[in-house]
Amino acid sequence: MNSSELRRRALAYLGCVGRAPAATEEMVDDCLEEARSLAHFRAVGREYTRPLPFLEKPPYREFLAGCSGYALVAMTLGSEVERRIRALMTLDAARAVVLDACASALVEAMGDKWEERYGENRTFRFCPGYGGSDVADNRYLFEQLDPARIGMQLLPSGMMAPQKSMAGIVGLGKREKRSCSDCMAAEGCLYRKEGRVCYRSEENC
Amino acid sequence: MLPLGRKLLIADGGMGSELERMGLGAFDPMELNVTHAEKVRSVHRAYAAAGADLITANSFGLNAVKYRGKYPLETLVSAAVENARSAGKPVFFDVGPTGALLAPVGTLTFDEAYEAYAQIARLTSAQVDGYLVETFSDLYELKACVLALMEHTDKPVYATMTFDRTGRTLTGSTPEIMAQLLEGLGVDALGVNCSLGPAELFPVVERILRATDLPVVVQPNRGLPVFENGKTVYPLSDEEFAAWAQKYAEAGVAVLGGCCGTTPETIQKIAPLSGRAVPARRAEKQTAVCSATKRVVFDGVRVCGERMNPTGKPKLRDAIRAQDYDYLVAEALRQEEAGADLLDLNVGVPGIDEPAAMYAAMCAVQENCTLPLQLDSSDAAALERGARYYNGIPLLNSVNGEETVMAKIFPVAKKYGAVVLGLTMDGGGVPRTAQERAAIARRIVSRAEEYGIPRHRVMIDTLVLTASAEQPLVAETLSALSLVGGMGRATALGVSNVSFGLPARPLINRTFLAMVLAGGLTMPIINPLDAEMMGTVRAFNVLSCADEGAADFIARYRDAVQAPPSAAGAPTAKDLRDCVLRGLVREAAECAARELSVRAPLETVNEVLIPALNEVGEGYAQGRLYLPQLIASAEAAKAAFAVVGERLQGGGASRGKVVLATVHGDVHDIGKNIVKVVAQSHGYEVIDLGKDVPEERVVEAVLREKPLAVGLSALMTTTVASMRETIAALKAAGCTAKILVGGAVLNAEIARSIGADGYTADAPSFAAALDALSEA
Repeated sequence: MNSSELRRRALAYLGCVGRAPAATEEMVDDCLEEARSLAHFRAVGREYTRPLPFLEKPPYREFLAGCSGYALVAMTLGSEVERRIRALMTLDAARAVVLDACASALVEAMGDKWEERYGENRTFRFCPGYGGSDVADNRYLFEQLDPARIGMQLLPSGMMAPQKSMAGIVGLGKREKRSCSDCMAAEGCLYRKEGRVCYRSEENC
Repeated sequence: MLPLGRKLLIADGGMGSELERMGLGAFDPMELNVTHAEKVRSVHRAYAAAGADLITANSFGLNAVKYRGKYPLETLVSAAVENARSAGKPVFFDVGPTGALLAPVGTLTFDEAYEAYAQIARLTSAQVDGYLVETFSDLYELKACVLALMEHTDKPVYATMTFDRTGRTLTGSTPEIMAQLLEGLGVDALGVNCSLGPAELFPVVERILRATDLPVVVQPNRGLPVFENGKTVYPLSDEEFAAWAQKYAEAGVAVLGGCCGTTPETIQKIAPLSGRAVPARRAEKQTAVCSATKRVVFDGVRVCGERMNPTGKPKLRDAIRAQDYDYLVAEALRQEEAGADLLDLNVGVPGIDEPAAMYAAMCAVQENCTLPLQLDSSDAAALERGARYYNGIPLLNSVNGEETVMAKIFPVAKKYGAVVLGLTMDGGGVPRTAQERAAIARRIVSRAEEYGIPRHRVMIDTLVLTASAEQPLVAETLSALSLVGGMGRATALGVSNVSFGLPARPLINRTFLAMVLAGGLTMPIINPLDAEMMGTVRAFNVLSCADEGAADFIARYRDAVQAPPSAAGAPTAKDLRDCVLRGLVREAAECAARELSVRAPLETVNEVLIPALNEVGEGYAQGRLYLPQLIASAEAAKAAFAVVGERLQGGGASRGKVVLATVHGDVHDIGKNIVKVVAQSHGYEVIDLGKDVPEERVVEAVLREKPLAVGLSALMTTTVASMRETIAALKAAGCTAKILVGGAVLNAEIARSIGADGYTADAPSFAAALDALSEA
């Protein structure tokens, strides 16, 4: 993802619809650079041909229909950027939220880039919690991948630590972009009311 | 007794990969100790037969945090030891990480990690010959583990961490930092294992060999793993691995074994190295302190920031008394930005529990700021608490020549590997002459050695007296400095003490700073926010050749000459309202002061600040303003409130108290933090309990503070459950404050169903709800 796309994505996370003020854009550029310098991106993945039992559930079954296999992936930016966001919260709170959004945009973008290893014929990363799936299913991904070796942990509450971390499923052998069709929140979604979608945040500006 | 450090020892190799080779990959490797004991024993025996001098039990995942299976931990622990015993070699208990991340990134506390390892030591100490602590990637967890072992067993402890190709651990520690911490804690051997192959690990091991005299342990993987057809493959042959082992032996490594992918065949190939004499070497003896990620070596001028000390700072004193450590954290971060190398931390306020305050303040600072700390207290218990929970090697300030003081502080420094600052005074006060002070310095250093603290871990402060009262003694401080410097000791001085009682103190301070730097001072304790003082240090570094080619100096001051004298180009704000709308923090304080010359304080709040904030809130609600602008405006209003507050009787403009918390189990607190800033900007006093807050802490704070409202935040459905429990606990305790909730998965309906009094969708609506309550 190039810098202007990253910037648009970060701005979207900050709720910027339409043109953001120049000062905000400048801060986003600055924070993207800082996020890059603090990021220690690490990822683990494993390919499978046969579905694990939890993937027999509806949202996953439909998502993986027509795939020749799939990969489970987990990735993190590490904890240094999290420490900096925490520190900025006391020193310059506006910058802290901008850096937080930039780090989110960056982990998504670096994750997409990392997944290119699975070839062009692949789906987007479907994360437990999407499309009515249960976020608690992350535990199956953690059992399979042991992301502790890249410094990730699934907390008892089901959250991942460090905060800028993701875990998901990439379908192989078929191309698929995100859509709203299987989202339980589609009805009454604020993005859709404005003719936008949540998952292509870079287009939301 | 193994001839550790004299003769090369061969450890065993991978266990998990061997069990997988036997087709046991689908089972919990720890439970195999019971279910397939004979298979586990066969691996141990194969390693013993291959020539391993010691056997590590199959116990990597055996601690109460990590193992949550169906067997009692005790059963698996004794089975693992028994299985290893069957090989007939000395048995080391394999101690692995908990797999949980420590707070604040995760939720595990240092004490919980410590207790898990203390339990292991209690269970095994009588049965094993030693402990191999391995594959740690977090220095703080490693410290908890090693401390627990040291305090519960007298068996040898070998400890290793894993490093990646950048030469750092996952949490950013360097080989030198690990070596200094482990040597300080008194382990028997230290080193590296896993993650990389022998080729990639070699530079890391070379750095460790230079950093410590202790025996070094190395257990690499059989090369960097590659993935082929969905399987992990280790690329090195046993011969290639053995060739590297030879190089390691020649470099001075004392214990060699293998990690992932190594087999009894690999160990057999390196076993001929067993018993070879370990080459003698001498590590560099550097005076250094470190945090988890930064090491400061006192081989040049290093600035210690003095601002986290309540002496003469009423606001800081009040903040410490109120246990509000944000103020300290902000001071730490500003000093870091200004270029300090390490920071002094002193929480000495009369009438408080100083060890508790030291602990809390130090944790807050080290979670936010990466600079090493100088823990500063006259209370030995406070220093002990600080040193114990410090994630690194601190500087302890201080001891002096009094035997009773040294007897209290040196054991603390010895136990935690700390560096100690010795003041050249004793029961008789500060001696007048340089010779007398140097004599005390010598006494401190030799007494430290008697406690097992090597001389390079002692620094000396030759003490600054005020030029106004003791003018001739300024020269004595300087002479003492050169005498102590001549002893090879790093030195420290609280520079600005010299100017007490004189006008134009900054002028005296920076002149004296130049004098003492030229006199050989290592660590000036100064205010790093004083640009002239920092400038003097930087200029001195040029003139003394410390800043080679003046590179640092030029980079910093190149533009300074060209900068216009006034802050041209900075936005100019018309009035306070404008400052708030545009989020201009510094200008807001100035405009507030101006506003107060024409209006009463309360009028300024009600007629200027609040309407301006309402305007911002509306703009945000309508999508005209975005989050960063909302927060910048809030910060500007906060700055204005602070100025207004100073004019009000009672010293505050608080419109009421609010208790905020992100509920138990939840670690995402950015939403709560945004609410905090906005609520403060509206003039409310926020008691922020942080994240992952147990319900009893919320109840206790609410009963104590009697706030207008309680704000609870939760991100996920799972943590909404703990929000419900917190609300129930509050109601059961008779809480009458309104309970407002917010967070990604909440809405008004869910809020009602879990018993909350209200739901607020964002920070401005939370502030609006508070306004409604305070006006009711």
